[in-house]
Amino acid sequence: MLAISGCATWQAPADPSVENIRARAISESSGDVDVKAAILSAEDTRRIFGADLNAAGVQVIWVEVDNRSSVPLRFMHTGTDANYYSPLEVAWSLHVTFGGATNDRIDDYFDAKAFENPIPARQLRRGFIFTNPEPVVKLFNIDLVGNRTMVPFTLILPVPDTPPGKDATALSKRVAAVRGPDYQTAEALRAALEAAPCCTRVGAEKAIGGPVNVVMVGTLGDLGSALVRRGYRRDLRSDDFVQRVYGRPPDIVIRKYAQGVDSSKWVRFWVAPFRYRGRPVFLCQVGRPVGGRFAANDGPLVLQVDVDEARNHFVGDMLYSGGLAQLGFVDGDGGDDDAPVAVPKPYQTDGLRAVFVMATRPLSMSDTEFLDWVPYVRQREAEASGLAAE
Amino acid sequence: MSQRWNSNGFRIVCPVRHRLLFVLVALLVGCATPQTNQRVQEGGVEARTQSKTYKGLTVSTSVLSAEESAEAYGVPLAEKGIQPVWVRVDNNEAQAFWLLAQGMDAGFFPASEAAEAFAAGRTGEEQAGLAAHFEKLAFRNPVPPGSTVSGHVLTNLDEGVKLVQVDLISSKQSRSFSFMSAVSGFQADYHVREAFSGSLYIESEVVDYDDLGSLRRALEALPCCTTNADGSRQGDPLNLVIIGGLSDAFPALVRRGWRPTEATRIESVMKMIKSALSGERYRYAPVSPLYVYGRPQELALQKARDNIHQRNHLRLWLAPLRYQGKQVWVGQISRDIGSRFTIHSPYLTTHKIDPNVDEARDALIEDMAYSQNLVEVGLVAGVGTASKDMPRQNLTTDPYYTDGFRAALIFDAKPTSLTDIGFLQWESPGGAILLDQDRGAVQ
Repeated sequence: MLAISGCATWQAPADPSVENIRARAISESSGDVDVKAAILSAEDTRRIFGADLNAAGVQVIWVEVDNRSSVPLRFMHTGTDANYYSPLEVAWSLHVTFGGATNDRIDDYFDAKAFENPIPARQLRRGFIFTNPEPVVKLFNIDLVGNRTMVPFTLILPVPDTPPGKDATALSKRVAAVRGPDYQTAEALRAALEAAPCCTRVGAEKAIGGPVNVVMVGTLGDLGSALVRRGYRRDLRSDDFVQRVYGRPPDIVIRKYAQGVDSSKWVRFWVAPFRYRGRPVFLCQVGRPVGGRFAANDGPLVLQVDVDEARNHFVGDMLYSGGLAQLGFVDGDGGDDDAPVAVPKPYQTDGLRAVFVMATRPLSMSDTEFLDWVPYVRQREAEASGLAAE
Repeated sequence: MSQRWNSNGFRIVCPVRHRLLFVLVALLVGCATPQTNQRVQEGGVEARTQSKTYKGLTVSTSVLSAEESAEAYGVPLAEKGIQPVWVRVDNNEAQAFWLLAQGMDAGFFPASEAAEAFAAGRTGEEQAGLAAHFEKLAFRNPVPPGSTVSGHVLTNLDEGVKLVQVDLISSKQSRSFSFMSAVSGFQADYHVREAFSGSLYIESEVVDYDDLGSLRRALEALPCCTTNADGSRQGDPLNLVIIGGLSDAFPALVRRGWRPTEATRIESVMKMIKSALSGERYRYAPVSPLYVYGRPQELALQKARDNIHQRNHLRLWLAPLRYQGKQVWVGQISRDIGSRFTIHSPYLTTHKIDPNVDEARDALIEDMAYSQNLVEVGLVAGVGTASKDMPRQNLTTDPYYTDGFRAALIFDAKPTSLTDIGFLQWESPGGAILLDQDRGAVQ
């Protein structure tokens, strides 16, 4: 990990004002609660904290919560980033050996700047939180929890210092631009999903990449909350970019970051050209690279052939997310907007795609309803009895 | 080595030279005949298999030792930090159930990934054979009504004891089963099984509180801090109370990635140093003993973040009290802020804790809020205030400061969503905030 340099000369910053940050903050309201948030640029962190915290792998977010309700609320750092940094953890990285009084001043400074819980009823709180970095745009999940109540938000925050050519609002624009049909019944949705592209295509020859094996239905906020709570973060790599559905690369790609605790599974999203009961629909390709967490970090990402395994594990993740209202399976070898290509698929699958209908209100894992679409269970049952008869 | 295949889809590689071991492993993968069952009962693995039944589901589990997993898989899984847990689910209910591997270990290994860990030096054909073999040993969802499914879930290697959590989901319902398993081949450093079995105290020593008011007073009266072995010096504050046991509190901790850790021994110290030097994650940085009630912790848990420099630690002691029949554990939690950004020596830095110990306490409250088993949480006095200007020191001379409160977390086996967690009207940080009685007024 990086050392933050220049610590020996640390001085309390002369201009720690947040006016410019507040001015560009993204706002959202829900009932009696307003939130604002913005990510700090490298320059902001130098100006406010006296060191380039971005360079040390910390993404600092300024948050303001105006709680006009009658209930004290708690900002859940874990819901924003399960591996967030405590203020004094970041401060300690600026410490110098035998720095005594200076180190104490650094600690005091970070402590004073940090977002403080709880947010009392009818009060406003603002401060900084210290998260792991995400490029281009951050799905910033805010779970405000009070006594037997909760107010969730998902803000889409542009990341400063992003190289030109990356549009942080591209995903929201893409979702807003969907002009296709808005299906009102589960049966109509199912028919549309069965007719959706079977798989991703790669290169001019339109070779088959991976199966479209997951469908997520819900607002960006609903999806963001569930995925962030399970440790997924945005991460687009060059190997993702060549994968195409509807003739375009993924609109967003997420991975689970914590080193060594996941098999490097990816979820590639494409906004579908239709809606379900007014809500966006996303076609997803879930897979993992050969080698998983045991592979070298810099190798190419080759799809592991047993894609159903990755899909089924993603089902488990979503069941624990608190955001899964309905789960079903549909056939996924149906329509294709590309001409059929008689090439072997580089994967094995039972041909089913898992469909997640996400909810805003957090749910416990006992609340998920299993849709009686393709009887996945009965199919497996028949398979099992077939094996037993061998 | 030869291959054998059983009739219900679970197949194993059978080392002929270890007949007894084959029989033991055969039982674990669910293919033993009644005759072999009889023979297995003579061995040690059978003694480790535990079963529980709730309504129409019966779940049995056993943790494979390093030797057993090497025999079953033909490769040394433990060397890659992988530990198979054998699970059998007998489903006599009307609906199918899914077993969630994430509930047993948030960082579990898909079978195909574990096979790929041994790809180096093997031909493509050998790799495919290995992958097929791993897949055949794996637990396969779902568990249809009226049937039995067994197989392995590949978890991260635990040493000493393992908390095995089996979450099974069906439409609009879930069932959870929890087991405390001894891991063969490792020294169990704590009297944890004694604590869980209830034999740590004689019944007349234990006070069971029925109402929250008397519970609060009892929690306030607990000792402020840990001590050294002879009780002559005070250490870290006892800033945590866990109310619940193997069926509710510990499943919550396991789901959120908390794992038992071994106490300090020279082997684990060496492993930690190696891990720190290589930058790799070692789940078992040792935890030194601290003392309450004149004895070391019953259980030490840690949650590794990205590497050894990022982890939170907690230690638990079973208190001689209960709340509505639930066990009460008093504990200490701290956050290692380590040396992730520095070139400090790992010896020095891995002991560095966040001096704001309340931060780690509050982080655990948040973490458990996402576990689905936390029903109520509150803060009680009893630690004693230590200000930033006048910090106290723990036994390793780390300074710490605190608002003087300990968090009390009450768990229940019935899943609770984030919207339903109760905040007890006890203390509040800073003392300035009046908790509102008006439930749900926000929405």
